[in-house]
Amino acid sequence: MAISATHLFLVSFITLSLFLVISKAESESELVADLLALQSESKSGVIHLDDRTVSKFLTSPKTPRPFSFIIFFDATQLHDKSELHLRELRNEFALVASSFITNNNSSNTKLFFCDIEFRESQSSFHLFGVNSLPHIRLVGPTAKSLKDDSEQMDQGDFSRMAESMAEFIESRTKLTVGPIHRPPILSKKQLALIAALLLIWSPFVAKKIFAGQTLLHDPKIWLSGAVFVYFFSVSGAMHNIIRKMPMFLVDRNDPNKLVFFYQGSGMQLGAEGFAVGFLYTIVGLLLAFVTHVLVYVKDATAKRVAMLVAIFVSFWAVKKVIFLDNWKTGYGVHGFWPSSWN
Amino acid sequence: MAAPEASSAAVPTLMTNNTLRNAFGGVLSFFILLLIGVLAFSIRLFSVIKYESVIHEFDPYFNYRVTQFLTKNGIYEFWNWFDDRTWYPLGRVIGGTVYPGLTLTAGTIWWLLNSLNIPLSVETVCVFTAPIFSAFASWATYLLTKEVKGAGAGLTAAVLLAMVPSYISRSVAGSYDNEAVAIFALIFTFYLYIKTLNTGSLFYATLNSIAYFYMVCSWGGYTFIINLIPMHVLLCIVTGRYSSRLYIAYAPLVVLGTLLAALVPVVGFNAVMTSEHFASFLVFIIIHVVALVYYIKGILSPKMFKVAVTLVISAGLAVCCAVIAVLIALVASSPTKGWSGRSLSLLDPTYASKYIPIIASVSEHQPPTWPSYFMDINVLAFLVPAGIIACFLPLSDASSFVVLYIATSVYFSGVMVRLMLVLAPAACITSGIALSQAFDVFTRSIKFQLPGLSSNTEVDAGETSSATKEAQNDAVKTEKAEETSKDRPSRKSKKKEREHVEKPSTKTKAEKKRLLALPLEASVISLLLLVFLGAFYVVHCVWAAAEAYSAPSIVLTSHSHDGLHVFDDFREAYAWLRHNTDVDDKVASWWDYGYQTTAMANRTVIVDNNTWNNTHIATVGTAMSSPEKAAWEIFHSLDVKYILVVFGGLVGYPSDDINKFLWMVRIGGGVFPHIKEPDYLRDGQYRIDSQATPTMLNCLMYKLSYYRFVETDGKGFDRVRRTEIGKKYFKLTHFEEVFTTHHWMVRIYKLKPQKNRIRGKTKKSKSKTSSTSSSKRSGTRKKNPWH
Repeated sequence: MAISATHLFLVSFITLSLFLVISKAESESELVADLLALQSESKSGVIHLDDRTVSKFLTSPKTPRPFSFIIFFDATQLHDKSELHLRELRNEFALVASSFITNNNSSNTKLFFCDIEFRESQSSFHLFGVNSLPHIRLVGPTAKSLKDDSEQMDQGDFSRMAESMAEFIESRTKLTVGPIHRPPILSKKQLALIAALLLIWSPFVAKKIFAGQTLLHDPKIWLSGAVFVYFFSVSGAMHNIIRKMPMFLVDRNDPNKLVFFYQGSGMQLGAEGFAVGFLYTIVGLLLAFVTHVLVYVKDATAKRVAMLVAIFVSFWAVKKVIFLDNWKTGYGVHGFWPSSWN
Repeated sequence: MAAPEASSAAVPTLMTNNTLRNAFGGVLSFFILLLIGVLAFSIRLFSVIKYESVIHEFDPYFNYRVTQFLTKNGIYEFWNWFDDRTWYPLGRVIGGTVYPGLTLTAGTIWWLLNSLNIPLSVETVCVFTAPIFSAFASWATYLLTKEVKGAGAGLTAAVLLAMVPSYISRSVAGSYDNEAVAIFALIFTFYLYIKTLNTGSLFYATLNSIAYFYMVCSWGGYTFIINLIPMHVLLCIVTGRYSSRLYIAYAPLVVLGTLLAALVPVVGFNAVMTSEHFASFLVFIIIHVVALVYYIKGILSPKMFKVAVTLVISAGLAVCCAVIAVLIALVASSPTKGWSGRSLSLLDPTYASKYIPIIASVSEHQPPTWPSYFMDINVLAFLVPAGIIACFLPLSDASSFVVLYIATSVYFSGVMVRLMLVLAPAACITSGIALSQAFDVFTRSIKFQLPGLSSNTEVDAGETSSATKEAQNDAVKTEKAEETSKDRPSRKSKKKEREHVEKPSTKTKAEKKRLLALPLEASVISLLLLVFLGAFYVVHCVWAAAEAYSAPSIVLTSHSHDGLHVFDDFREAYAWLRHNTDVDDKVASWWDYGYQTTAMANRTVIVDNNTWNNTHIATVGTAMSSPEKAAWEIFHSLDVKYILVVFGGLVGYPSDDINKFLWMVRIGGGVFPHIKEPDYLRDGQYRIDSQATPTMLNCLMYKLSYYRFVETDGKGFDRVRRTEIGKKYFKLTHFEEVFTTHHWMVRIYKLKPQKNRIRGKTKKSKSKTSSTSSSKRSGTRKKNPWH
């Protein structure tokens, strides 16, 4: 009991002295409380600002403010412009916000995540000097002029979505964001539903399999699948995916010209790969067509015409590939003839 | 299938005539196979003819050394071999960390030859192991393709494989590496699997497990087999092709094969513990469930079966679910989900580039572009689709396996250029099938339309052409096929019987087919073009074998206007080490030359090509990047007596240590942060001329490479970097040059002994401080303090 009494006394003493010493603290803590309230109102923890709240929280309090703001500049009318990725970035931003709040047990009052909408608060946009989107800005506690003292997040910092945003925040504010809690792709209910559906469906599938009537029993599917895998691989598509090669390049000397074929064997362009893959595949397909389909055709002239077309196309394809290969790699393939022949 | 058509051609002939023809065809195929073997062997001898009978590159030297040890000390010693000549002072357990297949094979060949009183050296045996096994591989290809589509296709596939460039690149004479025997083992295992699948014989199933064991012994690529075969089994089950033959082909392989694989020390319990093998166990369970279903279906009446099927399915599903759950739990409990990085990068191709720079940086692990395919399988790339389609007409168990093999291997080769080697046999098999069938159709068309030949084709003299011979072999095949198809239905499900009922109708169709030939002149043109295509393939393969893949990289040659120059500096240097240094001296060099130094000079090295300890490599890298004194201390602490550097500046050999030096800096800096890459770069550029940074000009690698270099031409012009070197006149304080080869390609330095301690002030100080203080003095006195 004695302990608690002294305790109480101490606490009240400290509070009293605090009241006496810092009068301004009250207004600050009020602001923080307001912010916390606003934060808890929104679902993701992103506070929606407008011109009034910007002046309340950012312009009117004296620096240093007890908190930093990270502000996402949003514009609803630009949401349908897919190249800006505003919607995705806004979602990622919300993700960082909610992760930050959960990781810091919602007790942290140092950093608040906010967003501003262009239509509602144009003057704030002017205040920050924002004239292009996407735009994310960190307003530190000491920033006096919102335009000059706050830091803009680089394009590179939000290119890798939430993780890189978190890195930016961590490096600038010395606060830890912690791991990003992404919502699972499927919620638990959906998972249960899918599992149930699968369970119900499985006897039917099993029945079909035993009856031998599925798509998998159709050799044509397998055939086209196998040929497609072949085409896909020999065209070097895996190379293009792994290296993220473009389909074509723009000529450096002449911007109107497009480069489809790249000289040098270590690299290839997308269109180039598919073109050669097609040439590789077409010859075999024509050969199979001639040996397995054409023999059953009754009409003699049709046979003849089809064969000549097949021969011509195959010849052209092989010649083209040999030419392209020589051009690309520069290997001088030559025969080893007896020296007396020369 | 080609078989019924051929039988129709054989119908008019008499029975005696037929057997004679079959015998003739058999003998002819035998000799053709013999010639294919000779071709496969001899096309790989370019390296011996152009250079000499010598082991190539780096890894083969290690294998050669292991083989030497095996032949000298016997198998038990080899099994327990702890090698103290490498990774000094750590050493390496050789017996437990190598795939012993290649070594044991070459050792056995050597032992056999010696017991027959044919005294070949171990090196000769090692040099020629790869060409011999290429011949075996082409024979195995013949067997495999014959099982799938008949002898004609088999011979074509064998001759294609005998000279496919992708395989030549790994199996020229002297390229004594695991892949050389592993490709044979791979094809042979597949052949035995198909053979078991076609015959349902337990004898072949057992052989199959043993072949699989040989493959596991030889190469880490065995995981391809143990995943491909289960995939095929699963495919057969899913598409309703289950049969007791499938069970016999698969179940013994999993049980026996896994037990045998676990016997290989380097695999050991991995055979049951890693995810690469889990697919086979899962399919093993599934096939048992399916077998049970088929069994119950057989003993019950259809009505009873319907009742039973619900019961069995639910029970089976429950068991499956439980097992899958256990497997998933097992997999999830291991940190990499049980998959090794390389396997993961096959499944998710972007994995390696994202997470494992070591794997991504190796040039063998890059994804190939389209010219790689043209270089490595050449015109086969055109023929494969036709072969795939041929495999579907009609689809059998064996041909579906070939389709699966080509589809998976072509995908994997698209991810890693190294796996082109696995694609090559599949491409040869499918192209062989395509070519053989095309020849079949075209020659048949010509034969039935040539006016003079139509009456009596069979006895014609021109019949020895390969295409007709194929037809004969196909006739042999037909009889066999019909025999088997007669006794199969008793064991097979009803679905198969339905197929059998359809057979006579296809036979009558085949009779008609004789009339369904292609136009004469178009067939002749096509035939000629196909022959030209084949000729182009031969020219390309010979060129690839002779020019692209034969350089041993231990002996170098260059052509210039005044003739051929041979650079044999590496062996000169290793021989010097062998004859002029003490047997227990330690030699430090960059890891590339570790295997060669231990094998050819028989001296202990610090690091070698088996890069298992990054810290150790980083230590050597740090020493090479440090100034002389610091480097001396590092090397001294490792008991190193000699340093070997490779220098190409005089003759223009581009893969020398100066060009590899940035990797030494990077790897060294990765462990010892005081080594920083930017210190060696001037504005991000790597240079060794007068603009180079002082750190670069004072590091050990620079000094050892360019010491006395200015004496050669008076200017110090580096022919690889095409510039004059930055610091021309300098002396070495802690190292002395002991040997430089003829073309300056290898330079060997000795660490100067520690200074004598009885001298003035340093009398009482300990060894460590004496070395530092003495080097201080060496700075002040300018003159060489050691003498």
